[in-house]
Amino acid sequence: MTPDPVPAAGRTAPGGRAARRARRGSGPGFVGATLWFTLPFVVLVAVWAVTVELTGVPRRIFPQVDDVAAALADMAASGELARHLGASLYRVLMGSAIAVATGLPFGIALGASPALSAFFSPLLRFSVALAGIAWIPIATLWLGYGDGAVIFIVWNAMFFALAYNTMLGVRRIPATLLRSARSMGASRWRMFWEVLLPGALPSVVSGLRIGLGYGWRGLVAAEIIASSAGLGYALFLAQKTFSTDVIIASMVVIGVLWLIMDRLLLAPLERRTIERWGMTGGAR
Amino acid sequence: MTALVIENLNKVYTDAYSGEEVTAIGDVSFTVERGEFVSVLGPSGCGKTTVLNTVAGFVEPTGGVVEVDGSPVSAPGPDRGVVFQSHALFPWKTVLGNAVFGLRMKGVPRAERERRGREYLELVGLGGFERKYPHELSGGMQQRLGVARVLANEPAVMLMDEPFASIDAQTRRRLQEDLTRIFEERRPTVFFVTHDIDEAVFLSDRVVVLSGRPSTVQEIVTVDLPRPRTWREAVDLPEFRDKVARINDLLSGGAGTGGGARVDSDSPVDVV
Repeated sequence: MTPDPVPAAGRTAPGGRAARRARRGSGPGFVGATLWFTLPFVVLVAVWAVTVELTGVPRRIFPQVDDVAAALADMAASGELARHLGASLYRVLMGSAIAVATGLPFGIALGASPALSAFFSPLLRFSVALAGIAWIPIATLWLGYGDGAVIFIVWNAMFFALAYNTMLGVRRIPATLLRSARSMGASRWRMFWEVLLPGALPSVVSGLRIGLGYGWRGLVAAEIIASSAGLGYALFLAQKTFSTDVIIASMVVIGVLWLIMDRLLLAPLERRTIERWGMTGGAR
Repeated sequence: MTALVIENLNKVYTDAYSGEEVTAIGDVSFTVERGEFVSVLGPSGCGKTTVLNTVAGFVEPTGGVVEVDGSPVSAPGPDRGVVFQSHALFPWKTVLGNAVFGLRMKGVPRAERERRGREYLELVGLGGFERKYPHELSGGMQQRLGVARVLANEPAVMLMDEPFASIDAQTRRRLQEDLTRIFEERRPTVFFVTHDIDEAVFLSDRVVVLSGRPSTVQEIVTVDLPRPRTWREAVDLPEFRDKVARINDLLSGGAGTGGGARVDSDSPVDVV
């Protein structure tokens, strides 16, 4: 932590933020944090193992922990895991990259222009209910079975959450910040890159988090229906052969992947930007 | 040479909820000479901040003219730097990044703008804090940065909108003395809005006292305190006390305006 002159009372430096930072600073450190993060999962696995053991439910219906571990090891050894994982990751990365490239500028434009947002708001609200999964049938008709349709679904699922949150983020930038940038001669282009985008970042990150969540679910659903590879497809295939252990193993992989993406991509982004900038106490 | 001309400024807006017409500024005229420190003081709701926002180009006047260095104002521009009460710093830029923002927008080359940025940070007492972020500074230091950011841009006039209002009394005194020192060293043209009578008298060459709504210029009080000024010396000078008392009378008496003029300033008694 950098030495921190005590912020004076006032609306720009609420005590809550300083207190929160102090708490984090004196926290348990990386090892402790990791422990606290994994603890709930350890408990979940323990409850699972004990429940299966005590209730005597058939393992074919509800596999024991070691069955799932074995299924996972098999999938890894046969190369099936790598194949499905690779297909899913490729689609998620493509879909989200396109969603960021389109949703972010669109959201900023909506936030900056009342006319644009007035026009698009009803359409946005209409689309939110349909975003992602509901598009799978028509996506497969348009783009066929395979990567194209799945990437489209991931993009579609993310786009609206990202655009909507980005718009809110821009609107939450204090008017005085925009005014001060304009009074120092910032052009529209400079405004976009140096004020609107960083100013909206706290909301953009929540938009990314929500959007990636939708996108991930869209991915699994789309792969079940419109693909012959990927983790969703692995789930679907295992259901046909009543391989509950493979189903649960695939579900675990999907969940763990999501956690890894969150921790490796979003959390560092947050640490380096909004936390470093002291913007965590809500938009200023 | 006149830096800022405000002539028959008038602002009427329609309240978004009630639909009523509200006169924010009745009829305000005054000028600020180059290198002069002028404060605008008035009862709450008299539209003094609206006057500043009009000069800044944030608000379009209903009538009247605002001219800066001889050319009429129509939009915000780098010839008028604004120091906001809420500081309005960019949280995502370092102290130096904030200080050189205006120079970057002007396209000043990197080496030159960093040299100037550092010079002005030094001037306001923020030397050594270049790489910090605004949230790591106290409120007083944030406002020092707000001032450095504007001065580094070398505007024709620096507009200050109650810049010290949200800062604790102790720090405020130091900031006022530092602002006076900077003003005496560099002689920028300053247009300063405040509701604090002591502050206005201590800092200014002239104080424009506005009446309550619809606001007009009640009186322009010239302050002939010797410079350099410090609080220690100022509070003992009869000139200081006279001017504070005079403005206090103007504001509390409403002196000939449509009554109801209310003083929202800190009591002037806290000088003693």
